[in-house]
Amino acid sequence: MILSLIKILIFPGFLFVFVLALAAEYADRKLYARMQTRIGPPWFQPFADFVKLLSKELIIPELADRTIFRILPLVACAAVAAAFLFIPVYNPESLFSFKGNIVAVIYILTIPTLTYFLAGWYSRSLYSLIGSMRVLTQMFSYEVPLLMAVLAPGILASSWTFSEVIAFYGSKGSLFCINVISFVVAVIAVQGKLEKVPFDIPEAETEIVAGTFTEYTGPLYAYFKLAMNIQTVSAAALLAAVFMPFGYNLGFILGIIIFLLKIFLIIVILAVVRTIFARIRMDQMVMFCWKYLTPLALLQILINIIIKAAAAQ
Amino acid sequence: MIKSVQKLINWSRLKSPWVIHFNTGACNACDIEIVAALTPVYDLERFGVQLKGTPRHADVLLCSGPVTRLIKDRLVRIYEQMPEPKFVVAVGTCACSGGVFDGCYNMLSGIDEAIPVNAYIPGCPASPDAIIDGVTKLLKSFEEGEAKKLESSGESAVRS
Ligand code: SF4
Repeated sequence: MILSLIKILIFPGFLFVFVLALAAEYADRKLYARMQTRIGPPWFQPFADFVKLLSKELIIPELADRTIFRILPLVACAAVAAAFLFIPVYNPESLFSFKGNIVAVIYILTIPTLTYFLAGWYSRSLYSLIGSMRVLTQMFSYEVPLLMAVLAPGILASSWTFSEVIAFYGSKGSLFCINVISFVVAVIAVQGKLEKVPFDIPEAETEIVAGTFTEYTGPLYAYFKLAMNIQTVSAAALLAAVFMPFGYNLGFILGIIIFLLKIFLIIVILAVVRTIFARIRMDQMVMFCWKYLTPLALLQILINIIIKAAAAQ
Repeated sequence: MIKSVQKLINWSRLKSPWVIHFNTGACNACDIEIVAALTPVYDLERFGVQLKGTPRHADVLLCSGPVTRLIKDRLVRIYEQMPEPKFVVAVGTCACSGGVFDGCYNMLSGIDEAIPVNAYIPGCPASPDAIIDGVTKLLKSFEEGEAKKLESSGESAVRS
């Protein structure tokens, strides 16, 4: 009982994910700055931002629904942190394991996006309203390729459970390299999910002020920012577990190091993409997702089914 | 306990000033200098400065230009939309005193006729170096003021 409470609250639970989320934001911003030949923020910057936002005045717009306006950031935080509990960290078993938990994690990771939409909707501000419509439109374009791409490796392993997928690829050497197409698709779709450039259309500063978060001040905005950072970590951990299923049986310390390296690799990829590209338009984003990403994800599923059928004969 | 929390909060406010930029009728030269100060060349993110789009997220309001009578209401409204604690910096001679526009029938002379100002940065236009210098001086005076407040509020001096 106490042991599982410690696991949930400290390691690999909330405290761990909190620190990891701040570190992820720092790594992202620092890499971004270095690639622009700047010095970049100091290491405590995300923490300072978080404390400062927590200590600021809280303003709730007169027309907004007070209860929902306050609850939504906490829901977003809770959802992403809960998703992290189901993802394996240093051993193939996650903290809470059940059959088909890959699907469950993907669905839990959708909740924060919906709270961003609702946050914009209940703010009763024009900019947030436009932002929330964009959040929804964007969600409908990246969610399908993401789902297909993340589920494709499981087809070969005949299971959508983390531990079984990891065990299957662990016994097959470098077979996981075959999923490289869906890995690329998933990284691009995650970029859309995290609303980072080039898919930061929902919070495009230069067009719609700050998108869905325009009316959020102080502590509530801090929670939303935290939720986005935890979402980065959770999504990176999900990709690491599904597409890089190695290094999970090497004991505690080595396992943690390999896990952190994998997450760092994905953050580096996201930061490089953020530096290289500019923001694209909404229609371009939808067209790109449905025209290129979805067929590529389908192709991966097809390849995996063919390999599976060939292996069965 | 409460004191160390207050110290932590003060430290975090010093380390992450988010700014918003508002043109209150400047000739645009000061605005360009403000934007130039935020480019990678000067790299203000070193000090935690970020440009925000909405007054709801900002701590520092950078105003440029004398306040035209038309924009006065909007300026006051934007100021009121910012959450406490908030700071206003007047950038450029116009924003400080009216500058070349002083005495025009359609202008106020300076930001401080509309809203309270915490720091004045003269110059026509104020150069990016001057803007950065002004903002750091503002932060330093804030730090000293808060430290004094902390000391006078309790019987024991602030220990770490
Ligand atoms: S101070 Fe000079 S440069 Fe700045 S707005 Fe006034 S006239 Fe223009």
